[in-house]
Amino acid sequence: MTAAGRSGAGSRRATLLVLPAVVPVVVVVGAALTSAVLLSLGLTPLVGRPELSLDAWRATELGTSIRLSLAIAAGATAVATVVGLCLALAVTAGARRSRLLATLSSLTIPVPHLVGAAAMGLLLADAGFLPRLLGIAPADWPALVGGRWWIAVGAEYAWKESAFIALVVAGALSSRVASYTETAALLGAGRWARFRHVTLPLAAPALAASAAVSFVYTLGSYEVAALLGRPAPEPLPVLAVRLFTSIDLAARPQAAAVAVTTSALGLVAVLVALRSLRRLAAEQ
Amino acid sequence: MLVSRLGSRLGRGALAVWLVLPLVPLLLWAAADRWSAPALLPQAWGTTGLAEARAAGAGPAAVRSAVLGTAVALLATPLGALAGRALTSGALRAPGLVFGVLLSPLVLPPFAVALGLDVLLLRLRVPAEVGLVLLLTVAAIPYTTVVMRAAYAAHDRHHDEEARLLGASAWRVVRSVQLPLLAPAIAGAAFLAFLVGWSDYVVTLLVGGGRLVTLPLLVGAAASATGNDAQVAVLALSAVLPPVALLVVIGSIGRRARR
Amino acid sequence: MSGSLQLTGLTRVHTAGAAPALDDLTLAVPAGSCVAVLGPSGSGKSTVLRLTAGLDTPTRGSVHLDGRDLAGVVPERRGMAMVFQRPLLFPHLSVRDNVGFADRVRGLPRRQVRESAERYLELVQLGGFGHRPARALSGGQAQRVALARALAAEPRVLLLDEPFSALDTGLRQEMHELLADLRLRLAPTVLLVTHDPAEADALADTVAVLDAGRLQQLGPMRELYTRPRSLAVSRLLGGRTEVPGTVAGGRHRSALGDLELPAPAAEGRGVLVVRPEAVTLVAAADADARGTVVQVRRRGLRSLVTVEVAGAEPAAVDAELPPGQEAVVGAEVGLRIPLGARCVVPLADPREVASAHDGQR
Repeated sequence: MTAAGRSGAGSRRATLLVLPAVVPVVVVVGAALTSAVLLSLGLTPLVGRPELSLDAWRATELGTSIRLSLAIAAGATAVATVVGLCLALAVTAGARRSRLLATLSSLTIPVPHLVGAAAMGLLLADAGFLPRLLGIAPADWPALVGGRWWIAVGAEYAWKESAFIALVVAGALSSRVASYTETAALLGAGRWARFRHVTLPLAAPALAASAAVSFVYTLGSYEVAALLGRPAPEPLPVLAVRLFTSIDLAARPQAAAVAVTTSALGLVAVLVALRSLRRLAAEQ
Repeated sequence: MLVSRLGSRLGRGALAVWLVLPLVPLLLWAAADRWSAPALLPQAWGTTGLAEARAAGAGPAAVRSAVLGTAVALLATPLGALAGRALTSGALRAPGLVFGVLLSPLVLPPFAVALGLDVLLLRLRVPAEVGLVLLLTVAAIPYTTVVMRAAYAAHDRHHDEEARLLGASAWRVVRSVQLPLLAPAIAGAAFLAFLVGWSDYVVTLLVGGGRLVTLPLLVGAAASATGNDAQVAVLALSAVLPPVALLVVIGSIGRRARR
Repeated sequence: MSGSLQLTGLTRVHTAGAAPALDDLTLAVPAGSCVAVLGPSGSGKSTVLRLTAGLDTPTRGSVHLDGRDLAGVVPERRGMAMVFQRPLLFPHLSVRDNVGFADRVRGLPRRQVRESAERYLELVQLGGFGHRPARALSGGQAQRVALARALAAEPRVLLLDEPFSALDTGLRQEMHELLADLRLRLAPTVLLVTHDPAEADALADTVAVLDAGRLQQLGPMRELYTRPRSLAVSRLLGGRTEVPGTVAGGRHRSALGDLELPAPAAEGRGVLVVRPEAVTLVAAADADARGTVVQVRRRGLRSLVTVEVAGAEPAAVDAELPPGQEAVVGAEVGLRIPLGARCVVPLADPREVASAHDGQR
């Protein structure tokens, strides 16, 4: 058998192996996006005649929702990134207590966001556990749940995603960071210099990638904002689900427009993250 | 030195509080019959929450969630494993593109996919349960693929070659060498896929149309009503404890495999 | 810049109750000298470096640099640099930034850091490699950069932890020459850890043999080769001939006969050890002992023969023949063991003797 023939067979075999996963993904993602775009353009109404129209894109308060969703995702991701990095550093520091912290952090991973939202409600509401702990009367407690600043929503995402970011970053650091920081210490680098010149650059790719995943997840996640947010204005997912499940069938194209918008924002965020990751990789 | 050690101890304490604090009221409420503000601890302990949760149908809902999670894990894990193997074989054309396609469900919000596909599934008369499993499997494939790709990349092919030279057939190598060595990764991938099915809320809500009641749907319904905090806490805890128990089991599999 | 290092009674017990990884090591490294710690894996030799560098804390004992006790001093303030077996170049930095790392964290201006880095790169014969990413180097180049990075920190003591073990033979020779050259130019104080007697011989002025956490013998390599103090040291240095016998009146009596000793030895049972290079095959008339060749192995142009000598306690003697001389299995040969090459070591494991001694106290 010639080398070319063999590599052809290998490539065919690899393609066959990957197809069972690729086909459903392409079918579901492709069909969902196509269907949503067509619906938002009025081409596949449940009742009535198909007619190309941009009405669905004009009707909704898209601008406000986009700004709100981006703000929540950015704020929560920023907090999650800082806390997640601290967690990862504490977990990989090798002290005896770090094992407890690692266990606590990994036990947070399987908690569903919905449960996290319920927990944050019980913690941060005006009769919640935190005001009781701090001895503050319900009347004096700021409206963290359903309030103007979406604090409880942001806190839930930051809490869950910090554990996720810590897991990814600790995984990237654990195997190699100890020997590199020892080397740096012997070359005269103090605590801060080791962090600044060795640990942070080594963690940066994992940190950026996991932060991007968190951001996109937060942007498109429904249940936390639905449960802990205020009725108006609505973040994109809440807006879309309300429109989609409303009795008014005419609202469905609008829901589809919101869904397409959210998907596009997520895609842009990922592309930006990929570019900065590539730059990070080029620097390394 | 003392200051920095004290600082690191304080920092560790703060991080531990950050991780644990949100779960504390959940645990307390689950066992509280009466706990009115501003008391720091419940005034009366009891099982009212549990009884209410059972009355709301927590049992059957948990079974439905477990079936959903298991179905997603059974489908997404082998698909991810095959894809991970193909991606690390070096024989695949455009592996970067294929990997990107397999990760694309991570980028798309689940509600958007469910919303777009719902109409189509209705038109094609696909049963809601089948559609739901299909959608959640696609949502889980990125996780299983990432885990299995990393595992295959770390897997030393020399083990396989050695086994072949010792007389094992290709299939035998998969069974006797690869599967045992990859067992921790497979368990991890299956766990993540199970979580996708077990904890999904919005896809079940949209595709199931409210008729398919899983545990997260009960939690959501209870939490958006007011005044039944004990029931919310019990439902929420029952949505957390099975995966945590699974995580502990899988952790012990991983430890045994490393030995 | 070179400092003098003094290790005193250095002991490290990892788990209470277990045997110490390092037991009561006292060792001086004078300024500008190179001392090698030689030992098999698990002998505690890497522990010596970690304790010296401050990466680990001794259970007992102290590390003094230029007379100053380093207890409680963090690694980055000890003025030491270490090269490990793996180069551990920072993967996110270029070659130049790796070499300039120490200056950079000291806060020197960039220009100065860069110039100094180039100078040290030239010193390890890698001038012009500065812009390359650290990942784009071969194993030998990476290890040279690691050496340049350590030297650029201008340490008062340079610690080398099996730095050339992962390199193949040719590269290792090159690195040995490079280090010898660097010692001539910069005269750094070097504490080297290795399992390879040839490496210790090539690089060090003084060698400390470590086994099971204890210092076995300290001295120049020549002396360790010709006058090992124990079977362990002899074996570690590649000694093969061990002839049990009895010492009486300055003579060793065994299957080899009654051999005069060059130096006084303890009376009673004792093992005669001889380097194979010292033994020659001669005509029966000039021989110290006679025997039969039982094995011949090739060592390049030379051959290593094992000669069995019959007796109440039969003995096997290894001899390395000069190029050109050959021997065949089964031949009867005479053995000549020069007076200066004869050395008698105690029969028992010295550790057992020591612990029995401890027990008496």
